[in-house]
Amino acid sequence: MTSGFGLGLRTEHYNDFLAEPQPVEWLEVISDNYMVDGGKPLAMLDQIRANYPMVMHGVSMSIGSINGLDKEYLRKLKILEQRVEPMWVSDHLCWSGVHGRNMHDLLPLPYTQEALQVVKHNVEQAQEVLQRPLVLENVSSYVEYESSEMTEWEFLAEICQVTGCRLLLDINNIYVSAFNHDFSPTSFIEGVPVESVTQFHLAGHLNNGDHLIDTHDHPVCDDVWDLYRQALLHFGYVPTMIERDDNIPSLPELIAELDMARAIADDVLNTKIAL
Amino acid sequence: MNLRELQIDFQRALFDTECNGADWISESARGLSARNRLDIYYNAYRLRLIDVLLDTFEHTAIYLGDDWFNQLAADYVQSHHSTYTNIGLYGREFPQFLVEQLPQDKEVSELALMDWKLRRAFDGADSAVMTLEDLQHLASDETGIRLQAVPTLTLCTQHFNTLDIWHAINQEQTPPVVEGLLQPIDILIWRKGHSPHFRSLAKIESAAIACLCSGETLDAIGATLEKDFPDVDVATEFGVMLHRWLDDEIISVGFRNAE
Repeated sequence: MTSGFGLGLRTEHYNDFLAEPQPVEWLEVISDNYMVDGGKPLAMLDQIRANYPMVMHGVSMSIGSINGLDKEYLRKLKILEQRVEPMWVSDHLCWSGVHGRNMHDLLPLPYTQEALQVVKHNVEQAQEVLQRPLVLENVSSYVEYESSEMTEWEFLAEICQVTGCRLLLDINNIYVSAFNHDFSPTSFIEGVPVESVTQFHLAGHLNNGDHLIDTHDHPVCDDVWDLYRQALLHFGYVPTMIERDDNIPSLPELIAELDMARAIADDVLNTKIAL
Repeated sequence: MNLRELQIDFQRALFDTECNGADWISESARGLSARNRLDIYYNAYRLRLIDVLLDTFEHTAIYLGDDWFNQLAADYVQSHHSTYTNIGLYGREFPQFLVEQLPQDKEVSELALMDWKLRRAFDGADSAVMTLEDLQHLASDETGIRLQAVPTLTLCTQHFNTLDIWHAINQEQTPPVVEGLLQPIDILIWRKGHSPHFRSLAKIESAAIACLCSGETLDAIGATLEKDFPDVDVATEFGVMLHRWLDDEIISVGFRNAE
């Protein structure tokens, strides 16, 4: 388990990380951006990796697809994993397409026993290739299915138990889905197994009044910071990062936001110890 | 409805020409209707792919203007489902789509093909580049040398002043009026260092590079050029070309002896 706070590595900040050491303990790279044949992406990755521990975060594994996993995708992911030697490898609890089509989205699953078996099979396949536990992230969602038989957190807890996979809890995604589907974010946090949580994501979203969209183009809002406090109280210290994918600010601005996460964690965890 | 049926129907709903809702989505007591919830995914699917096309075909988009490009991109998204895990590859058929959609404006597809090939050169395979010393060393030891082009090297043929249009757009200037060329020209595209490069080729260099890519030995390339360009001092011209290829870093250190 690593310590400290991280950021998602974005092309806009390559030069900052190459120019001088930055106050960031680790970096998360989007696996898919580096599953390429060569050129600047891999050159930058290698240079920055030399100075920072990394975790790999994918968006295209489609772990919930009824068609199973794409073997070529897994092969390329394994090659990248051997190159980066990340602390862990994550992707999303979702599906992205069937029958050879890809919608390039993180589509939610129905929380059913049948889906559980599909995800179990696919997680086991990924873990066999990667030879390490897969880390799964909860997604933001905008639909719920008539067929669901359990809550999202019950599904996550079950999949961790039957596969040994771990969890990347996106605090913003919990908040967005809780708002969109009118459930208690506290129930979510209290419903997942403490020992399985490997990483937290923090991010911003777009508030459209009657629904929230997970855009990653805003700073973390106060409500999500409050939920982060709750998560820290429940899970204790968990490696945390700010995830920003659009409207990307300067690195100092993002580091200032990360410092807020550090300050909140210090405050919450020190208070917890004092109690 | 089982998971297989749900995923197939969800995918079909996103591919439809309009968002029609679905009865497998729960209606919630508050917030959006089930139809509007599905609409979020329906619109996001299109916006995401159009954004990828805008990013990949940057010069083409500027040349066409926002409205025209977005309409063509939306039509492409509706008629072309992605079969790639790497979303960056989604535009592979877009230049050909433009050939079919704009038969009277063929410079547009030429511009798009150039955008596409430059983008692919950006993250194409790496290779160690041959230096003059490497070549001299090889030439002293081997006969019948076949050089190997770097893996990012590719050619595209243009029948219009597309290259001038590309340069004008790149310099944020008004593009020239489109004109057909008297003779088509070949454009060489490759990556040097971290940056995609391109330049137009004279006929003789184009022929030499075609021979290089088909695996001919240096001797055979020289012989072909002697035959096809009888009025040229091929020995001198080919020597100049080889030096430029080394400077441009289009020859990889991988080489093959003649069999």
